[in-house]
Amino acid sequence: MSRFIWLVRREIWEHKAIWVAPLIVLACLVLATLTGNIHLGPIGSMDAGAGLGALPHDKQVRLLLVVYAGLALVMDWVLGIVAFFYALDSLYADRRDRSVLFWKSLPLSDAETVLSKFAVAAVVIPLVALAGAVLAQLIVAAGGSAKLAMAGEAAGIMWQPQAIMGGIVMAAVWCVTAMFWFAPVIGYLMLASAWAPRGPFLWAVLPPAALYMFEKVLLQTNYVGDFIKERLFGMLRIVRPETVAQVDPKTGEEVGREVIKLSELDLSGSLRDFYASADLWLGVVAAALLIAAAMWVRRYRDETA
Amino acid sequence: MTDLIVAQGLGKSFGTTRALDDVSFTVKPGRIVGLIGPNGAGKTTALKALLGLTRFDGRLSVLGLDPHRQRHQLMQDVCFIADVAVLPRWIRVRQLIDFVAATHPRFRRDVCEQFLARSDVKRNSRVKELSKGMVTQLHLALVMAIDARLLVLDEPTLGLDILMRKQFYETLLNEYFDEQRTILVTTHQVEEVEHILTDLLFIDRGRIVLDAAMDEIQSKYAQVAVRPEHVAAARTHRPLAERQGLGRIHMLFRDAPRAELERLGEIGVPSVADLFVAVIQGARA
Repeated sequence: MSRFIWLVRREIWEHKAIWVAPLIVLACLVLATLTGNIHLGPIGSMDAGAGLGALPHDKQVRLLLVVYAGLALVMDWVLGIVAFFYALDSLYADRRDRSVLFWKSLPLSDAETVLSKFAVAAVVIPLVALAGAVLAQLIVAAGGSAKLAMAGEAAGIMWQPQAIMGGIVMAAVWCVTAMFWFAPVIGYLMLASAWAPRGPFLWAVLPPAALYMFEKVLLQTNYVGDFIKERLFGMLRIVRPETVAQVDPKTGEEVGREVIKLSELDLSGSLRDFYASADLWLGVVAAALLIAAAMWVRRYRDETA
Repeated sequence: MTDLIVAQGLGKSFGTTRALDDVSFTVKPGRIVGLIGPNGAGKTTALKALLGLTRFDGRLSVLGLDPHRQRHQLMQDVCFIADVAVLPRWIRVRQLIDFVAATHPRFRRDVCEQFLARSDVKRNSRVKELSKGMVTQLHLALVMAIDARLLVLDEPTLGLDILMRKQFYETLLNEYFDEQRTILVTTHQVEEVEHILTDLLFIDRGRIVLDAAMDEIQSKYAQVAVRPEHVAAARTHRPLAERQGLGRIHMLFRDAPRAELERLGEIGVPSVADLFVAVIQGARA
């Protein structure tokens, strides 16, 4: 096995949250399906799947897609939080307990160490989120089928390819897009982690917060705030194009329209726009610079200081 | 033989304190060098400069490499224990051995296992579950299994009891050390290393105050138990240090004529600790 894989393995040994957190979510889902209390997203309770069979086919697909996409979103949020704290901790924890001196006694370059940690946050964690999302969808599909069967309805409804495949494709699209979109966020957090004398959370959060306040109070503009908000939530544009107004959970129509687009795998519009946007690729460039800076700090930081 | 370490005019400041002040020395291959100095003398800073862990002024070459710029390359052939208890606390012993085996081309697992077999360290334990002594044993087992050309040990036996310390230095000398290897060690317990050292480097307030091979020291320095009636005569040879003993005054001489000294009392080889105290006091006076 190559050295890089061992470096990644080391991270997964150390940071159990990467696989424990999604397992907890899955365990909760299994529990919820067994006890028959699935409350998810805009369609509210799908207890016993009652009435699902009575709906027209395209409506079924829409509802199921919302459920499956919601599950993927839950996984993404959970692992997004894991990735946030992982990146913040990644180049700080071993300095705090001085084990960095042990790692530095091995013939590993600081560049590959930093890169392995970046790979965990920006690639491994999204892949875990994808796997978790798919498993969650399968659990809910299986649980829903059982419910439907018990209610005397057709259990196959849950497994309609348009719905289940649509859900998986959506989770995969999010997974890949998140790797690019959040790379600069990870890079920034890792730089803070490499640089912070102590308490990397504050060192990461205070500068942008201070800038935000400064701008708000003195200039009465909100560019920093918008910039941060855009980077944290801008990825949602893929599923919710800016042209469409906020979706009210009660009005099934609005939800349906977007979802059907996905079910036909017609992500092309919003996805093409998204991947063609300068924001995405500038972010990737920023990520590369931030990671290079983190490598430099990791390498030349004076450990005696 | 070419020098393994060449330091020329090494300097390092922390604020207004000079941690290293114009330090120059060389280390030849196949030696065991004791870098000895009081707390805050600059030992750790010097070692960190050698290992590329800190910036420095002046010129430094370790195995022909610049440790600051070629650190990664240097670590292929250099191994170090910077301080005790720097092993990551969360890792399992088994994982640690697997990881080092996979990432260090010069690590020999069988040698490591052999050393570990003598301890009570369990493969499935996490480092944080081990006692301080066991952590040190584990770290030493890992390091001894690495076929490095230069081994740097900064207070390697801190936290070990006296039996383990003795055992460690014996193992180091008998099973690890050979002509191809060089060891640089700092320690507070000078008495325990002096019989294995081949060279001494005393450092005080950022400066090298003594740089000598052990056999040189035996011919250069003499500790004489001076009989009371000869004290005045002895002082004419300008002893480096005097210490009151039982009916004798122990004086430490440097480059004093042997025949003269023999008339004054029994001559012995000074211990490193005595020499250390004398040299440091001399340097500060």
